[in-house]
Amino acid sequence: MLRAALLGLADGVILFDPGLRLILCNAAARHRLGWVGAPPRRGLTLASWLDHAGGLDPAERSVIREHCAALLAGDAAPAPGRDSAAAEKDLAFGDFTLRLRRLDGQGIMISLATGGDDGEAALRDPLTGLGNRRAFQAALAAALARAESEAALLLLDLDRFKHVNDSLGHPVGDALLRLVAQRLRASLRAGDTLVRLGGDEFAILLPRAEGAEPLAERLVDLLSRPYLVEGHLANIGVSIGIARAPADATEGGMLLRRADLALYAAKAAGRRQFCRFRPEMDARAQARQALETDLRRAVALGQFHLYYQPLLEVASGAVIGFEALLRWAHPTRGMVSPTEFIPLAEEVGLIVPIGEWVLRQACRAAASWPETVLVAVNVSPVQFADGARLLRAVDEALAGAGLSGMRLEIEITESVLLHDAAETLAILHDLRGRGVRIAMDDFGTGYSSLSQLRSFPFDKIKIDRSFVSEIEGQSGGKAVVRAIAALGASLGMTVTVEGVETEAQAHFVASSGGHQMQGYLISRPVPADDVAALLARLPARTARLSHETRDGI
Amino acid sequence: MKQELYRVVYCSRVRLSGPPAGIVGHLRHILATSRRNNVRADISGALLFANNCFAQTLEGPRVEVERCFERIQNDPRHSDVTVLEFGPASAREFPKWSMGFAGEPGAAHDPLAFVVFEGAFAGERPESGSAVLGLLHGLVRREEAWALA
Repeated sequence: MLRAALLGLADGVILFDPGLRLILCNAAARHRLGWVGAPPRRGLTLASWLDHAGGLDPAERSVIREHCAALLAGDAAPAPGRDSAAAEKDLAFGDFTLRLRRLDGQGIMISLATGGDDGEAALRDPLTGLGNRRAFQAALAAALARAESEAALLLLDLDRFKHVNDSLGHPVGDALLRLVAQRLRASLRAGDTLVRLGGDEFAILLPRAEGAEPLAERLVDLLSRPYLVEGHLANIGVSIGIARAPADATEGGMLLRRADLALYAAKAAGRRQFCRFRPEMDARAQARQALETDLRRAVALGQFHLYYQPLLEVASGAVIGFEALLRWAHPTRGMVSPTEFIPLAEEVGLIVPIGEWVLRQACRAAASWPETVLVAVNVSPVQFADGARLLRAVDEALAGAGLSGMRLEIEITESVLLHDAAETLAILHDLRGRGVRIAMDDFGTGYSSLSQLRSFPFDKIKIDRSFVSEIEGQSGGKAVVRAIAALGASLGMTVTVEGVETEAQAHFVASSGGHQMQGYLISRPVPADDVAALLARLPARTARLSHETRDGI
Repeated sequence: MKQELYRVVYCSRVRLSGPPAGIVGHLRHILATSRRNNVRADISGALLFANNCFAQTLEGPRVEVERCFERIQNDPRHSDVTVLEFGPASAREFPKWSMGFAGEPGAAHDPLAFVVFEGAFAGERPESGSAVLGLLHGLVRREEAWALA
């Protein structure tokens, strides 16, 4: 009688005997714990019972195991003044609570939540009413319970959702997510699992390996259709990554990782599309991982070196400074191109310590040069995200080398100004306050270049090498260089032309009003030790540095 | 309190295949369903079919317009939905039509309709919304005239 009553209870109840073998586990408990496989048999060990609880992660399982053993041993720490406390333990796991209770001589009872809808709510996303991440884990474990199980996992990430959320507000964003959930729900068949993983991420699990691609194609179209929400028109899109079992993975965690790699590929390919996992994505991810590991070690192992390329003043033919360029010499990879490792270093945040090393190293090197020669250092947009840290790094590099701020030039790209322009401008002005010059690098390759030139009184603009290489061709390279030189002059900015490789280009730069040039024609970048020899061959300028007399004007 | 009146104007490409008669059958069916739904939801408007495109305007209480539009979005029988206009409206343009149907496949193509559709899909020009509205008006009037004749 009692057994029947317990089995029918709406609250989750599980009973173990003193040997921690299962007496009963009711349907509510199975449902809430994301039970995997057939209903459990009497006599199942606690350990194998836990293995079937797909909604629990390994850490939670071991906590439950430990506390059950401790309760049975009677050595759970008794709370002062409450005898019964020794027989009870509440375990809060994120969004639901398990209560373990020792039944005198009868074993252990585990109950879930405190009634009502808590157990159900633990598996639900309150905003959309879809399953949540916990429900997804359970469904994934259930779908892949057998090695030969067929399944397909679609990971969805909304494109431009953040933009809508930011510009129209969170209530509209929430309403939009509900519409997205509705459209997704309407596209699925019975047996498919749809969950919201969080934010603007959704997942769909199909109990079959085939049919994922036609569905993904339909969803890319359907979710990209406009939304009318709370009186606003919203346009978003979706990127989808697909992985299938057993072809791509037979285990849930691996299937998820591979779907995630495919999603990453879909986004990298321009969003609003789906991508199926391919084995080479794994290889690429591993290669990236290996590169990141090596990169993390490179500073400590002294594998980075700075090379210096001279900046020549057109009017006098004198060297006025050097641009510090980062080189990575890896023992087995050889010379790794900055175009290969800088983006990765920026993505994983390593650019910050690397950038600080570059600043220190470059300032130290410049301290040994003639006082009239400055050093130019490239600073990544990522470093501007933490302005206080950047300013501190500049101060420390200058102080450590005993170098005047006037001899440091910071080169930034246009993209620096794209994010939080007000904050960035404040940092640039602070740098300026230390006497540091600010140069706009790769000018002409980014966005809205002209408006950005007006946003800050740059000391210098560097015309991107791509225009210079076109000087001798029929395309517009010449006109661009001339126009930028004139623009720079009218704004009182020094104009430097990069990538000068031939006499003809040098002549053109001089005749069109460029103030400085840099390129293989003058010198390749050289190691720090060769700077002295280079200065013996090319004269350094004689005038002292100041902000009042701009270079070449 | 009476809800604020909203209007949406949109175009989409039709994904129906088969002989013209079959398509007309489909369209009539779509129309019959939406008429039923729309009367209940206090929505009026007009639907134009030309050059394998739909142009539709829906007007009514905001929540109802949004709900109706969302239902239409989930319909796999069209694609490339482009909203030309959405916002509050001072008065209904098609008060009598729970859902008017203008244009028959197989009938002579209206060159203006073609121009409007091309314009709408090439890039959402601000004047497209009112252009489609004007077009729908013309066709609805013609349809009324045919019905009276």
